[in-house]
Amino acid sequence: MRGLTRDLVATAAFAVLLVFLPSVLREVFGRASVSYLSLATNALVLAVLALSWDMLARTGQLSLAHAAFTGAGAYTVAVLFKLTGAPLWLGIPLGGLVAAVLALGLGSVTLRLFGIYFAIATLAFTEVLKAAVQRLPTAVAGGAAGINVPALFRPTFVAGSMERWEVAFLRNQGYFWVYAGLLVVAVVISVLIQRSRLRAAFTAVRTNEQVAGVMGVNPARMKLLAFVLSSFVAGLLGAVEAHRLGSVSPDGAFSVHTTVLALVTPIFGGLYTTLGPILGATVLAGIEETLKRTFSEGYLIGYGIVLVASILFMPRGLVGLASKLVKRGGASTSGRVGGASGGAADAAAEERA
Amino acid sequence: MDLSLLPQAIVSGVLASGLYALVSVGLALAIGVIGIVNFAHGEFFMVGAFLAYQLFVSFGFDPLLSLLFVAPALAVIGALIYLSSIRFVLRAPELNQMLLTFGIGIILQNLALLIWGGDPRTIANVPYRSLGFQVAGVSIGAVPLGSFVISLLLVAGLYWMLASTPLGRAMRAVAQNRIGAGLVGLEVDRVYLVAFALSALLAGLGGVMIGVIQSPTPTVGLGFTLKAFAIVVLAGLGNIRGIVGAALTVALAESLVATLVPNGDALRNMVFFAIIFVVLVWRSRRVA
Amino acid sequence: MKRIIATLVVALFAIAMAQGVTIGVLSPLTGGAAGTGQAQKAGFELALAEINAAGGVLGQPLKIIIEDTKADAATGVAAFEKLMTEDGVEFIAGGYSSGVTLALVESFRTFQPIVSWIGGAVSGVGIDGFDGIEELLGAEPWFFHVHPWDYQNTEASTAFMASTGVKSVALLHEDSAFGGPGAIAAAGLLQDAGMSVPLVEAFKSTLTGGTGDFRATIAKAAASGADALFWIGYDSDVVPLTSQIRELKYDPQYIFGAPPGWPSEFDAAPEAQCVTGLIGYLPNLPNAEAKTFLDAYVAMHGRAPDNYMAALAYAQLWSYADAINAAGTTDQDAVIAALQNGTFRSPMGAWSFKPSVIALHQGFGSEMWNVFQFQNGVREIVWPLARATAPLASCQ
Repeated sequence: MRGLTRDLVATAAFAVLLVFLPSVLREVFGRASVSYLSLATNALVLAVLALSWDMLARTGQLSLAHAAFTGAGAYTVAVLFKLTGAPLWLGIPLGGLVAAVLALGLGSVTLRLFGIYFAIATLAFTEVLKAAVQRLPTAVAGGAAGINVPALFRPTFVAGSMERWEVAFLRNQGYFWVYAGLLVVAVVISVLIQRSRLRAAFTAVRTNEQVAGVMGVNPARMKLLAFVLSSFVAGLLGAVEAHRLGSVSPDGAFSVHTTVLALVTPIFGGLYTTLGPILGATVLAGIEETLKRTFSEGYLIGYGIVLVASILFMPRGLVGLASKLVKRGGASTSGRVGGASGGAADAAAEERA
Repeated sequence: MDLSLLPQAIVSGVLASGLYALVSVGLALAIGVIGIVNFAHGEFFMVGAFLAYQLFVSFGFDPLLSLLFVAPALAVIGALIYLSSIRFVLRAPELNQMLLTFGIGIILQNLALLIWGGDPRTIANVPYRSLGFQVAGVSIGAVPLGSFVISLLLVAGLYWMLASTPLGRAMRAVAQNRIGAGLVGLEVDRVYLVAFALSALLAGLGGVMIGVIQSPTPTVGLGFTLKAFAIVVLAGLGNIRGIVGAALTVALAESLVATLVPNGDALRNMVFFAIIFVVLVWRSRRVA
Repeated sequence: MKRIIATLVVALFAIAMAQGVTIGVLSPLTGGAAGTGQAQKAGFELALAEINAAGGVLGQPLKIIIEDTKADAATGVAAFEKLMTEDGVEFIAGGYSSGVTLALVESFRTFQPIVSWIGGAVSGVGIDGFDGIEELLGAEPWFFHVHPWDYQNTEASTAFMASTGVKSVALLHEDSAFGGPGAIAAAGLLQDAGMSVPLVEAFKSTLTGGTGDFRATIAKAAASGADALFWIGYDSDVVPLTSQIRELKYDPQYIFGAPPGWPSEFDAAPEAQCVTGLIGYLPNLPNAEAKTFLDAYVAMHGRAPDNYMAALAYAQLWSYADAINAAGTTDQDAVIAALQNGTFRSPMGAWSFKPSVIALHQGFGSEMWNVFQFQNGVREIVWPLARATAPLASCQ
């Protein structure tokens, strides 16, 4: 339990840091803090997406359905406000719930699918859901054109007493705090998993379901639990995104791109850890923006090279690299577990995050 | 519902399975033999399509002639990618392979954007692209028929190679037991190199065909890649012959729905992925 | 360290201001819409070179900063905020993708710079329960929209169809936000003009995950017995659609399409013969600027423009330069007045901003559109008749 307390204290400290980050940016950068805050928010979105995906991956379920759950959250919010005059903040928790229920349904039929079979089945599920949403009556789901979604924050400009960029700052700060809240929720869930018997259970399910059964772990229950927790967070995220981006459409809300980023980021940062996906999101977002600002053309080539190099030179992600540097000289990390899928990354899970 | 279109729907569907099989065989080899989930496979299509385009623009080559150059070029590109990166992640978790190949895909896509720009291109003169024969009131397109025949030959050839040649036996050996194959002295690394180059070569063939049918763009591979993954998985990993049946099933279903249901063409992807989902789930429950 | 960066930002900002006017451009330079973004960029580069060769803006060289939106909403917002707060621009140009534009609405309203916006044609007019770009931004005095609205595109298309004298039209459309609402509007207008529409059928575009097998849809169009085929889709659908029409021996009087662009080198394809299409700019337009634009474009970029987006971007940047010069200042009200009252140059001829259904400042309207027909490898203008270079020929 001491480990849990330590992690929760660290999470609280992280939360405090996030609360004050906007003010610090504003103090240091003035009006430029508006766009830095947007970039930081985009990194937060990526972090929540990645961490929620990682929770599911801890049970060995390589999902390509993450866009289905962010999309479900987004559409829940959009349809709610299209059809009813519900209170502004109701849509977000509801989006999480709808995504979780959807995950329970998907998870229970895909329990016996493994590896790439599971991956493709979940991808197919997402594509079917996208097409089905588009086919729903326009009066409900907006059809191909989509649905407008009300903004969460609309600070008013008071001429004379403030500048326009300060209004943008207030709005961005509002969204930043909401996403920071989501990240903290995700981190707490992740930490509770990592610091309880669930962690061993998840790892057992991932490495060998038969052995897990012998250990007294119910693989089906663990997989569903991970699916529901992961999708609940993804649903919340999609719901907030719908508010921030002002509209949803089938192609945007259920984009394969979201799914791919959800999987790429934790691998880059370090799988099966809490810190890895967050670190991965921050560094990847930072690298992409830096490349974009440095090269006028072809900056994504550099981004691709970074991804390739990362897997060649730090196979266990940023977290793996960091712990290797810390432990340099020790023998514990030198042995690579070959063969079994997830083998090397399992070693990364041994590292504390 | 207009049943007079039914014969045409069946013929179009059967022929369309050729293209699906064609874009799937290379991927089946990569996943089945090497066990690598290659996210950059769609970019191999794209490179194949653009190379065919460039050979047409620079030398006036017909795409069929270009096949002779594009296929080996893709094999070389595949081999270089294998030697410079894939080789190092063979024993890594499949997620690491996904990230690596995703990165390679981004590099290829954006290189193409730099070289050829983002606007769709056209291989302007393909004499047989619009060619169709009327047989008993049903139209048979030259390109669908051609890709159907080519893909059958490729699948048969690949099957024969895996079953009856020393290289094929080596491939199956390493596919079944990586460590064991290494112990009996097979040069596992070389077998993988050949398999990956062959996979890229096959993607190149598919890419040329895509370049004929569509306009080459940096993102042209995307639509086919997801479907190719799904077909390979539907066939079952390592089951090269199964590709034909899998491709036939989904292509026929797509064509029937597109023809018989109002606005059915817009339902193509939904039908395709619904079949994939249901079959995978059903199969997993039946086995248990 | 951060202090130094902050100082540096402020210093750069000051330098930028001292050196004259800077215009911030938002455009999708990478990803699936890169073709459009790069066409815009090429048009901006040409206009910029010409503007500065002609003395610049307010006696100083004009500068542009192009930011990539990737046609992604979140990226677009961050890029806009960078232009406003880090680069300190007062004028925004470029613009593409309705999703990105909808995400930018709140930010536009916050900063209220002058926004001249090319794309985002989804007006929302005529779509119940959905607020489009014109409905959300059209009434803002600082918002200028360059590209025609969706209903203006449809107006031109149906007017052309009516001019051909056909009695019935089969309407095929891609199923996303572009073709879906567009087809509903088009079907209504065609019927209003006295034509029957025996088939309205959706298809999956190659741009949105389709694999380009349109045979089932074409077979339905053939079975409908309509005189003409009218399709609304994307430029990457052109080659598969036209070749499969021939393969299936479908033989309507006219094959008319309204994609946002046409693939390069399609002119030379045999499938192009007799195909008609809607387009904003062609080098053989009767006005003198059409040809000079082409020559200057080829001289700079080494090839002819792939689609009319380059021409619109060129027109947009020139309108800024001319308006700011006419105002003699960068004062917002003065520049708005100058944009509002000025007449500007473009490869399509003279143009100006005027009210549309909701918008205060709409640049090009349905009058921008021309219909061309591929006749023996040449894009002849066949409609409107006043600009025609050749008579419309039936495909039969």
